[in-house]
Amino acid sequence: MNHSAIRNGLGYTTLALMIIALFMVFDYVPPEAEQGIAQLIFYFHVPLAWVAFASFGLVAIAGIFYLWLGDQLWDDLGYAAAETGMVFCTLMIVAGSIWAKPIWGTWWTWDSRLTTTFILWLMYGGYLMLRASADDTPQVARFAAVVGLVAALDVPIVIASVRLWRTIHPAVLVTRQGGHGLEDPRMVATLLVCLAAFTAFWAWLLMLRFTQLRARSRMGALAVRIAFARAAAADLK
Amino acid sequence: MAGDSARCSADRTLSGFAAVLRKDLRLELRSGESTLALLALSMLVLVVLVFALDAAHVRSVEVAAGALWVAMVFAGMLGANRALLAERDNGAIRGLLLSPLDPGTLYAAKLAAALIFMLIAEVGAVILMVIFFNLDFDASTARLAPILVLGAIGFSALATLLSAITGRTRSGDMLLPILAVPIFVPALIAGVKASAAALGGAPLASMGDWLRIMIAFDVLFVVAGYLLFEQVVGEN
Amino acid sequence: MSAPVVETHRLAKTYGLAPVLREVELRLLAGAGAFIVGGNGAGKSTLLRILAGLEAPSDGRALVFGQDTRRLGARYRRRIGVMAHQSFLYPNLTARENLEFYAELYSVADPRASAIQWLDRVGLAGVADTRVRAFSRGMEQRLSAARAMLAEPGLLLLDEPFASLDHDGAEIIEALIRGAVERGASVIATAHAVPEIAGVEFAAYEISRGRIAQQAHQEEVRRGGRLRTLLGR
Repeated sequence: MNHSAIRNGLGYTTLALMIIALFMVFDYVPPEAEQGIAQLIFYFHVPLAWVAFASFGLVAIAGIFYLWLGDQLWDDLGYAAAETGMVFCTLMIVAGSIWAKPIWGTWWTWDSRLTTTFILWLMYGGYLMLRASADDTPQVARFAAVVGLVAALDVPIVIASVRLWRTIHPAVLVTRQGGHGLEDPRMVATLLVCLAAFTAFWAWLLMLRFTQLRARSRMGALAVRIAFARAAAADLK
Repeated sequence: MAGDSARCSADRTLSGFAAVLRKDLRLELRSGESTLALLALSMLVLVVLVFALDAAHVRSVEVAAGALWVAMVFAGMLGANRALLAERDNGAIRGLLLSPLDPGTLYAAKLAAALIFMLIAEVGAVILMVIFFNLDFDASTARLAPILVLGAIGFSALATLLSAITGRTRSGDMLLPILAVPIFVPALIAGVKASAAALGGAPLASMGDWLRIMIAFDVLFVVAGYLLFEQVVGEN
Repeated sequence: MSAPVVETHRLAKTYGLAPVLREVELRLLAGAGAFIVGGNGAGKSTLLRILAGLEAPSDGRALVFGQDTRRLGARYRRRIGVMAHQSFLYPNLTARENLEFYAELYSVADPRASAIQWLDRVGLAGVADTRVRAFSRGMEQRLSAARAMLAEPGLLLLDEPFASLDHDGAEIIEALIRGAVERGASVIATAHAVPEIAGVEFAAYEISRGRIAQQAHQEEVRRGGRLRTLLGR
């Protein structure tokens, strides 16, 4: 598998899709009746949320494979997915705040999607802090895999509980991926293109980080083999 | 060794679980003041909240329920940290890992010990909550029991698993709440909402949704902890 | 030919970038004993930890009772007794409570009686109800030996069992090892130098910088007769 070919391919795809997406959002799609221009952030919100959650799912799956197979490759993939996902999750949170101000007049609103994403952001943060403080222990990969897995299993329960929590104080916002609120087919098309663009962007960043971590792991393994060879050479003296 | 083959493995699991739990309880009782000090600390949190939320002048079940759960989570965190502390001396954890004891059974015993500690703290917290937050000791207080037990099981299950990890890292004591709190959020939301409803006089049947969430959380984390504990407690 | 109790194939272990064990090949048959001798940092403790199943090797395999040490089931763990530098004892429990606890974990028939019996054997009957935190290092070491042996395991892995012991203490441990060997147990013990154990014939291996060197100091362990060559190369 030619890593740099894939990376570059993803890079160009991202660039192309992003340009199309931006055009569609700002020029093509009609603004929603009620909320006007500020509603456009929806076309960034949804893809960002999708990517943030999908990345976390990847962290968990990579964790399972690491625990099962023990291959460092899965740990590198999980770590890369966590860092990349964190970037998009942070973007989502910031975007949420930017959207909330003109609509609600406050810097944050506890609607169910934003709340859930915020919890996810905290989980990402915890995972990365664990990585940072356990970096010197040999079991860090195992610890991270368990934490990622356990947090990911929790996410459905978080979604359910937050949704229930919000229905008691109903939020006005009804935007849901592919659900009501998207009557015009142009809106659907724009959303799909944005989804594709952000997914490509995420995959590209993931690939970048992953190949970096792989290189580091391989160098580590090589260094160990050199150490063994040195010790063997010292025996002969 | 003669009686060995006669005992079935379920029997052995149970006796292993009982042996570890008994040992932990014995050690806990012998550690003397420190257990009491930890319980007192959790209660102090309630005092802080009384003043912070100005509960003296208002009778609000929502505020009371919230304060109760803050104190509970605090106590839970302290209790979980201690669960595995006893095994640090003289490398006792290795003695346990080398023994025929199944790591899942070890997890269950540690979970039980943390749970007992948290339940004791809860009883104290409920009493103080009723007194400090201008409530009454009546049927609504009793209805709290199943909610608090479910919450304690969930938190203890989660924290016991995580503390096996955080106990072995730098700044592990800070890391436990950082990891545990976001994961615990769904049970926290459900627990506070259900508690407030119960204190307000609602019957348990009306909070079915919240209770279901807490049960799902408990099942998930007890099972996950049981299966994953051996991954994080050993050296390989 | 009976299957070996302990076997390793090209066993290697690294901590970070430091190779601690390299290409260790070992075979121990049932009822045999070996001393592994080496200086500090030679890899003795690491080897024992891997054989006990506490750590996984970085490369190669270790088999105990025919099982890969990375996946030792409860049935096999019951047959292994380990003494390490750490005593695995709870300082706030009494000597008796510690032994009873371990006896229960190892499914010993009568934990109470077993604890008393072994306290007697290691000369600690008088302090049975004293907390271990009050023990001297030598007393703790003796109690640790009792803990390791009370389930009468088929394999004993002893890391420097004579460390911190005075003459009396060493004699007690010697008697215990002798008793275990007579019972048919296999023993691997590490030490800085080959000790004298009257009545047992152990082979001795020198480990240096992670490798097992030649059979060393055979003459020192030969006792009244031919040396049983029980270890493979």
